[in-house]
Parts: sequence; structure tokens; C-alpha cells
Amino acid sequence: MTTTAEDTTAPAPEEDLLLDVRGVKVHFPIKRGVVLDRVVGHVYAVDGVDLQIRRGETYGLVGESGCGKSTLGKAILGLEPPTEGSVVIDGTDIASLAGEQLRRRRKDFQMVFQDPMSSLDPRQSVESLLVEGMRAHGLASDDAATSARLRELLAAVGLPAAALKKYPHEFSGGQRQRIGIARALAVEPKLIVADEPVSALDVSVQAQVINLLEELQERLGLTYLVVAHDLAVVRHISDRIGVMYLGGLVEEATADDLYTTPLHPYTRALLSAVPLPDPVAEDRREQVLLVGDLPSPSRPPTGCRFHTRCPWRQETRCADERPTLRAVDVPGVPAGHRVACHWAEEIERGEITPHEVTPTATTQDWRGTDEGDAIGPASETEAQVSPTGP
Amino acid sequence: MTATATTPRTGRPGQEPLLSVRDLRVTFRRQGEEPFTAVDGVSFDVRPGQTVGLVGESGCGKSVTSLAIMGLLPARGNTVEGTATYDGTDLLGLPPDQMRDRRGRDIAMIFQDPLSSLNPVIPIGLQVTEVLERHRGMRRRAARPLARDLLDRVGIPDPDRRLTDYPHQLSGGMRQRALIAMALACEPRLLIADEPTTALDVTIQAQILRLLKELVEETGTALVMITHDLGVVAGLCDEVNVLYGGRIVERGERHELFAAPRHPYTSGLLASIPRLDGARGAPLTPIPGSVADNLPWESACAFAPRCSQPVQRCTAETPRLEESAGRALRCFNPVEVTR
Repeated sequence: MTTTAEDTTAPAPEEDLLLDVRGVKVHFPIKRGVVLDRVVGHVYAVDGVDLQIRRGETYGLVGESGCGKSTLGKAILGLEPPTEGSVVIDGTDIASLAGEQLRRRRKDFQMVFQDPMSSLDPRQSVESLLVEGMRAHGLASDDAATSARLRELLAAVGLPAAALKKYPHEFSGGQRQRIGIARALAVEPKLIVADEPVSALDVSVQAQVINLLEELQERLGLTYLVVAHDLAVVRHISDRIGVMYLGGLVEEATADDLYTTPLHPYTRALLSAVPLPDPVAEDRREQVLLVGDLPSPSRPPTGCRFHTRCPWRQETRCADERPTLRAVDVPGVPAGHRVACHWAEEIERGEITPHEVTPTATTQDWRGTDEGDAIGPASETEAQVSPTGP
Repeated sequence: MTATATTPRTGRPGQEPLLSVRDLRVTFRRQGEEPFTAVDGVSFDVRPGQTVGLVGESGCGKSVTSLAIMGLLPARGNTVEGTATYDGTDLLGLPPDQMRDRRGRDIAMIFQDPLSSLNPVIPIGLQVTEVLERHRGMRRRAARPLARDLLDRVGIPDPDRRLTDYPHQLSGGMRQRALIAMALACEPRLLIADEPTTALDVTIQAQILRLLKELVEETGTALVMITHDLGVVAGLCDEVNVLYGGRIVERGERHELFAAPRHPYTSGLLASIPRLDGARGAPLTPIPGSVADNLPWESACAFAPRCSQPVQRCTAETPRLEESAGRALRCFNPVEVTR
């Protein structure tokens, strides 16, 4: 997984795209009432995301809980139908597929889940777990070939052939995740969406699974979309990284660019918040400490979603104009490095300096119609946000 | 966070230890099964104003150590041996009612998951005042302003209104702050934090770690930090204890330990985590196997099967924790110091 020079540019439409996501939105209705079942609002989990992944690339999607990264991953696989927008995998718009057609196409895109214990059926042996998908896609017609293929799969993920007759509980967490990966590989997919593939594992075992994913990619030419909250892990395995905040991408760049020149204030804060296993670096570094919590995705702030917590927030534009992902005109920053911030250039040149942010109370409780006055508006702009209640 | 009522208790390493754990051994017994020793002869000291880290992966005994010190292990099915001397008293020998008096007053604990440590049907304010009522004999009405100040102190915005909120109305970070407020209610001299930021997002984690750091600096509280995250340890702890299979395998001052890890487990852990500030592209060096592949400490080094440089002695003899110049190491074939 090396970064080459051409990686630094965003893929042009004519390039060899495996995945093309355009304007995807996933809104979940908030319903209330027993009989009438009124929709009283929406959770804007994913709110307009464009994303392109080239064949053989690893794209990392990072963000904190509630930013919509997992929902986006599911929307891409058609597990969560998008409210709006299109997902084109290998030339086919998956929204145009239904029923049997969609089921057949699922062979091309597989998922690896976070918790292998809950994503593997405890009452199925490893053999049955692996064969199930192959059979569903007509890949297990010949017994001898199937058995050879199973051995090959297990060898690929570093498990002994004896594992076939065992059950998930007989394995350690790392081994279970290997089974989950083998299951995804069984149907020879083109795209693998891995949702937090290592976060449930012990630190010493994480590296084994990360290395395995990289090896398999090199050998089989796989394309990955890795969804994770751990920036260090994502930076390690990804070619390009998209940073999500409250349902939208705020920055997209190659892994190295993103780390060396983070342009979005949120990315800066996120990078500076990750504890480094190095006391010298820890003592020296300056942290951009964010105040407050993620606002509720059912009442996202107007304008830039991040403006309520942004230490670089300006009086104009931030609160009322939603920034789009754009290339910036800063020397040394390649065109493929895109950021959704009105003031990215000024911040990077040091013309705008960070200021104090008053912490605002956020609440997990979307129901209270009196919520507005229970906690008071965080700012003038938040007061303008239409309430979710009827 | 604003400094309030607390008088700063100055205290720095070099003083008499506030908590002194010696040869702590916790064995779980279940009918029809071999007894399992989760903590196997752990000793460490915590001084006022000092932050001591217990680091290790799942099953290394770090949490059981803290529960044993706090007297929170179930009364049946286990044996706790050794001593945990706090201010001249052995906590492990205290009868339950005396321990109950100390818990929350002298020694407080913060747990990993704030939602399951808070009572879901009682407002936050009441849960904080409860501590004050129990340990300081305050009336609820008198305790309320104090509870408000505590919430304010841990950085909860609009504390007056938050007093009447229930845990589910707070975000994860706010819940953890509320929990810290409860732990601080009686100005404990010792705080044990068991993975306090593991359930939180990184930006919130940074806030909580900053809060804990300020607390230690301002009040001179001793802090025992239990975590699996070497990054958290590197920024926060003065002294680090690395645990493996229920025993301390290495101990050192954080700068020394991270600059020159001697135990293959410590250095293996450091090599296996992807670094945000390191070079990219090179494959990681994982530690092979899993924590389940241990040898019994009685006759070998438990880490030997996963070790990168085992020697013959490792599978035949029990390595002892050798102390020298503030460092302690349990290894027959330590990693050469290159720097």
C-alpha cells in the first residue's frame, strides 16, 4: 500500500472508479404516536455525501460516533436504502436493482463487521458459515473444488484447516475477525466495506488483522472502504481519507496530506486529540481542545455544521452558508485535497486565529419540545434552527 | 473548569506513599474448575499528586486489581491475599462497613461506562448529593449548591438545570463528567479511574484527560489510571506499570519506559500500534498469538509463547521482578537498549 504521485489528485470521472457515490442522503424519520404514527422530524444521519473510490484503493472514513460513517457504509451496500442520491458500484446503480438482481450483485460487495462475535452465527460451524455465501451465489457446486477453496480461504486469513469443524466460540477475538474476513472473501467480492474491523480487538492483535487486510488487498486486488474512529489505524491502512462530521464530509485528502496539512478546523482538532504513545510528543504538542459535544443530528446547526464548536468561527458565512468540499489555493496542497470550510486558506496562512468557544449544552434527548428553552440556544444561529417538535 | 473550594494539597513524588499495594493476589474459584489467579502478586505505590498507570490488554488483571483494592469483588467465589495499605490502614483487612465509609470519601473510583455506573431513574443532582449526604452527613438542601458547584467544576455547562436531568439526557462525555463530579464530591485523596475514556470519542477523551490532569495538579489527588491505551498513559501517567497475565512485567517512569522499553511485551505493544505521527506504509509488527496463549507463571514466563526473543530459561523458570533505579523488569532476555 504505497502512495504514489497520482494518488494526490482526486479521481477524475473517467478514471477507473469502482464506487461512485453522489449526493447520498440517509434520513431516518422520528415517529411519535401509537395509532397515527406521525413523523415529527428526521435524523439527518448522512446528509449529502459525494465519494469516489478507485479500483484497488483503500478509502478510510473517519469520524466520531454519530457522524454517520457507519450509515454511509450501509447505504453504499444497499443495506440502508438512501433517501436521496445514487450509489454506483462498478457501473451499476444499485438503486436500480431490486430483489433477485440485487441479491446476485451482492456478491461484488461484502462487509466485515466490528464485532465478530455478534456477526457470526454461534450455531454454525466455520465451514457452514463460509459455504453459505458461496452456495447462495452458485460458487459451491463442485464438492471437491469447494473444499479446496475453503482450505485456501482459511490459509489466506491464517487459520488452520482444522478450524472448519469448529464453532465461533472456540476462537479468540482476533481469530473470529479472521473468520469474518474469510466469509467476506468467500464470494470473491470487488469491494469490501469494513466497519470498525479492529476496534473490538486487543491492541496486540489489531496489528495482525490490519496486516492481514493489507496482504489480502495486495494479493487479490481488493478495494476497501474502511470505516473507523481510530485515526491512527485509518491513516495506516488508507490511501485516501474522508473525515466526516455530522452527516457530511468535511475534508478529503491522501493519508499523508491529511496528517501533515489538515485544513479543516475539525480535522485539526481530531488529529490533535489522539493520544500519542510517546511522552515527549505528548508534552510538546499543542492541543486544539474542542468544547461541548456533537450537536444532535436531528437538529443540525445551520450553515457549517461545525460552526457551533469551531475555534476559528467567523462572523460571516459560517453560520448561514453551508460550505461544500472544494480544492484550496494554498501552496503545497494538491488539488485532490478538498475541504469544506469557507476560511481554510486564511486559517492555513494564519490570518485567522483561534478564539475561545463557550461550551454549549447539547442533549441526547430529541423529544422535549421545550428543549429549546430547557438548555437555551447555544448561539443566535442555533436559535434559528427550526425545532423538531410539532 | 474553575478551581473552587478545595484547598490545594501539595504533594509530589518522593513523599510517603498514600497507597501501597503489596503482593496482591486474587484467585477466582468455581465449582468443578481449576482456581484461576487473575492477579498474581502485584505490588505498586501511589504517592499524593502522582498518577500511576496500570496498562495491559484484556485479561491482564488491571481491573480486578482496582476492584480488589476498593473491596468491590463479590464476597464469595474468590480469595484476595496481600495488603493494600492506605494511610496506615490495610484496606483488604477492613470489615465491609468500614470499607463502605472510606469508599467514596477517601478513595473514589470512576468506571469505564458512565451509563451503567449511573442510576438511570435518579436525576444527576440527586446522585451527587447522595454522596454528600452519606459521607458528610449533609442535608439534601444544603448539599444541592455544592452539587451544583461540583458539576460546574467538571465543566458541565448550565449546571443548575443539569441537576434535574436524568443520565439518558446527557451525552457520553457529560455523563463521564457527572461521574467524575460524584467521585470528587468528598475530595478523595485517591482516585482510581478504570478506562475512564474508552467509551468516549477522541475529542471528548481529550477533554476528560485534560480535566483529570488539572484535578491532579490542583488538588494533589493521587490517581491510579487503568487503561489499555498506551497513548493515554504517555500523556498522563508519571509512572507506568505494564501488566501481562496478572503480573507486572515492567515498571518505569513514563519517559524512560517509552524511550527504552526493556520487556519484549512492552516493546512489542509499542511496535504493533499504528502511530499517527510515525512513518506510513511499513507493515506493523504484531505480537503473534493472543492473550489466551499463556504459560503458567509458576513454571515459566507467561509471555514466552508470544515473545519475539525467548530463551530456554523462559519456558523452564519463573522470571522475577527485578528492581533497579526506579525501573522494574520481569524478563530473562530483555530488549537491548539501542538509544
